[in-house]
Amino acid sequence: MKINILGASATKFGELWNISPRSLAKEAMTSALNQAGLKPSQIDALFVGNMLSGILGNQANLGSLLVEELGVQIPAFRMEGACASGGLALHNAINSIRAGQYRTVLILGIEKMTDYGQEDVTTALMAAGSDEERMSGATFPGVYALMAQAYMQKYKVKEEELAAVAVKNHYHGTLNPKAQFQFPVTIEQVMRSTKIADPLKLLDCSPISDGAAAVIISGEEDLVKGKKSVQIIASEVSTDTLSLHDRKTFTSLSSVIDASLKAYEKTGLKPADIDVAEIHDCFSISEAIAVEDLGFSEKGFGAKDIAKGMRTLFKGKIITNPSGGLKACGHPVGATGIKQIVEINEQLKGTAGQRQVEGANIGLTHNVGGSGAIAVIHILQN
Amino acid sequence: MITSPVKLWRRQKNTSSFIGKKGKILLWTMIRTPGKSFVDQAPYPVVIVKIHNGENMIGQLVDWQEKDLKKGKEVECVLRRSRTEEEEEVIYYNLKFKPL
Repeated sequence: MKINILGASATKFGELWNISPRSLAKEAMTSALNQAGLKPSQIDALFVGNMLSGILGNQANLGSLLVEELGVQIPAFRMEGACASGGLALHNAINSIRAGQYRTVLILGIEKMTDYGQEDVTTALMAAGSDEERMSGATFPGVYALMAQAYMQKYKVKEEELAAVAVKNHYHGTLNPKAQFQFPVTIEQVMRSTKIADPLKLLDCSPISDGAAAVIISGEEDLVKGKKSVQIIASEVSTDTLSLHDRKTFTSLSSVIDASLKAYEKTGLKPADIDVAEIHDCFSISEAIAVEDLGFSEKGFGAKDIAKGMRTLFKGKIITNPSGGLKACGHPVGATGIKQIVEINEQLKGTAGQRQVEGANIGLTHNVGGSGAIAVIHILQN
Repeated sequence: MITSPVKLWRRQKNTSSFIGKKGKILLWTMIRTPGKSFVDQAPYPVVIVKIHNGENMIGQLVDWQEKDLKKGKEVECVLRRSRTEEEEEVIYYNLKFKPL
């Protein structure tokens, strides 16, 4: 069965103090419905990706809450897989269509984080880790910093080469009017920024953000007749241990390798066939490791290739994070996995404006939860 | 977040069997922007240690000096006060690592 994207839209990401979660959700959902030319009554079910509404906002039952905003009476589900909640919601939505239960569904990713202080958000995000990690006083930047230490030691990679990931993504962010940060940064600025968890500095880290993104998918051929639409041709999920220290390697994420191999196998595609990818760059080290695990770069050369411009718009091949990624576009955790789909949909339709990857035909999204305890990979084709 | 005293009690049952175990630092980082209940201790190092029986553990490094922050440094498991008490007001002790 073909899974077509009928509409896909994201709100601006950033510190949106004057916008409530309900309004954010409504804006994204309405915009996706308009793009699809559909009425809420034509949606069979709602899937919501969100991580923190219970922990930070004391709000559960998000499915029902957000269906209220659609003004219809349909089944609704909230999916949680830490920072991969959005991708996970989409995966389950696709499965529901493939199972024949629903025909057309709306998937919403949403997170409201900036209402709370940094320490509260840092503590809340550690819910994605293990008890041992929490009791050690580790934070998410800390856990990824341990991976960065391992990676730099093993492959003789310099901090400046990791900083190049942030520089690239900030450059891409300057071309995205919805990005949280639309200004460039230099290697020197990244190197001089405040230390967060050695060797990671402030500008190696994605920000705390608010935002929502919505996608409408359908298995109904009638709804796409006569229109150009992007298809989701693979949706794969894999998992790994919750704790980083329980893994065999600290320089690669086995969940990402497993999910992407399944996605390549099912589509018959190779890494070199991918034109554009949205990568889960919660930290600079994450993108360096991701482009290796996805097969875009040789092991140990992810950061070095990025520093050479091999993943930069108008310069490289297999462009990563044209949206600015989590680093510059922002990282409202539950929304990220869906925003990645919105970006790749635009790229494959050729409507990405200033940041268009020329001739993009096949795109990939890489959405990760925890320190790699869950990974969701989607492949899209024009 | 609600930390139940019962949960803390259940969690500490196996703690004593690790006290005195020795191992080597595999990886370290320095936490400078901690979560709420660790603010008073920052900055502090967190390390992944390979215990001599082969298993890996994560924990805070205490009584450290700059020269201890390196791969291969010998450390020992010790019992220390964990963090600032939350609403449950139970003073919680857990495993940390001390350089040898």
